[in-house]
Amino acid sequence: MEIPINPTGTIITEVVSASEAIIDGQLKIMAGTNNYLGLTFDTDCVTAGQQALLESGTGTTGSRMANGTYQQHLDLEREIAEFFDCSYGMVFSTGYSANIGMLTALLNAEDSVLVDSEGHASLFDGCRMSGAKIYRFKHNDPEGLRKRLSRLGEAGKDALIVVEGLYSVRGDCAPLKEYVDVKNEFGSYLMVDEAHSLGLYGENGRGLAEEEGVSKEVDFIVGTFSKSLGSIGGFCVSNHSELSLVRYASRPYIFTASPSPSIIATTRQALKKIKNCPELREIVWSNAKLLHSGLSQLGFPIGTGVSPVIGIPFEDRECALTYWQNLFNKGVYTNLILPPAAPDGGSLIRCSVTAAHSRDQIRFILDAFEAIKNC
Amino acid sequence: MTHSKIVTRLIELLENLVSSVEDFDAETGLVGDAGLESIQVIEYLCEVEDDFDIVIDEEALSYVNTVGDLAETILKITDGKVL
Repeated sequence: MEIPINPTGTIITEVVSASEAIIDGQLKIMAGTNNYLGLTFDTDCVTAGQQALLESGTGTTGSRMANGTYQQHLDLEREIAEFFDCSYGMVFSTGYSANIGMLTALLNAEDSVLVDSEGHASLFDGCRMSGAKIYRFKHNDPEGLRKRLSRLGEAGKDALIVVEGLYSVRGDCAPLKEYVDVKNEFGSYLMVDEAHSLGLYGENGRGLAEEEGVSKEVDFIVGTFSKSLGSIGGFCVSNHSELSLVRYASRPYIFTASPSPSIIATTRQALKKIKNCPELREIVWSNAKLLHSGLSQLGFPIGTGVSPVIGIPFEDRECALTYWQNLFNKGVYTNLILPPAAPDGGSLIRCSVTAAHSRDQIRFILDAFEAIKNC
Repeated sequence: MTHSKIVTRLIELLENLVSSVEDFDAETGLVGDAGLESIQVIEYLCEVEDDFDIVIDEEALSYVNTVGDLAETILKITDGKVL
């Protein structure tokens, strides 16, 4: 089958807005991003970045352990900790390096780590690089986790459990309350990656742990600035004072140039937006409900759980490729996820909505799906 | 439990995931021959762990290609004391 556009090698030639881009010479509605709150073109964020560029230059040229710690980095660490109501915060250069950096610092060859089988690659990479014994458990299966901790005996008592909040492909959420129960039963530690849930869930937008009322029972929350915050970077917050020591043990923290001042400035401004503009969450959830409802009515098998991420399963890759290409031709960019990347072993089209999408754009996306439904 | 008995049980457990296990033996590759997709491998291994009441870490699994390899791994983990 000939695919005119490489679905995994799409080149955006012009970013028109937080929800539109020019690809292959045509305007596309972007329904396959992680720009959940639509902040990439927020005037205050852009202005903060411009100001930082003028005042502090284009980059730090050094790591945090050398000349790369500016006052702004410390300010962001304090602000992200305060945002999560935690005692300690640590900022990394990317979300990927935050997960690698935390896991390699927290774990060693004597430790056991239990990871949801659909966890992000950065979580598995970090666990592998730590040398710890890695045990997978079935996706969103607290009972499976409990059984494995039980079988581990003494090793289960200080094991680390690693899960995500909102899973980025299918858009389903972790049963965090049940995980906390299991963690407390065995005295283990729990790390939650809120990369995709930050800004979307919880009264203050802190993520799924806040939504589920278990924030205080999660030992380490990790995440990224590159989704709802529209920037780039990663973080960990915790009430464990040992987080301060991770700075001296985390190679991705020590041996990477620190985030540039403009990145720090836009991230800090975006964090203020999450705190001060709850209406952004209301818009994205309203859009999510509209898209979910429309796709359900069209007969797509997307389940009942609503989230800003919708994974539409297809039985075979040819069918998924055809759908993706036809949607693209209709002016809608989505994410095509093929085996082995698709969590269920099949193929998926991942569709995501943001607060930047207008209602008309959501209807445009639905019209595109309807037009190609029977193709 | 001997290696061959573990192999027999492992093949029985594969019946839930593949259409036929008629020709399967210790040499059957879990991916290449049985045709398990990556998610099915995880499902299968979770079922194996539950059935044998064990946990298998990722490092041990890195040496597993065939049903026989998996049986060998189970024997090692249980020190031969599989009931």
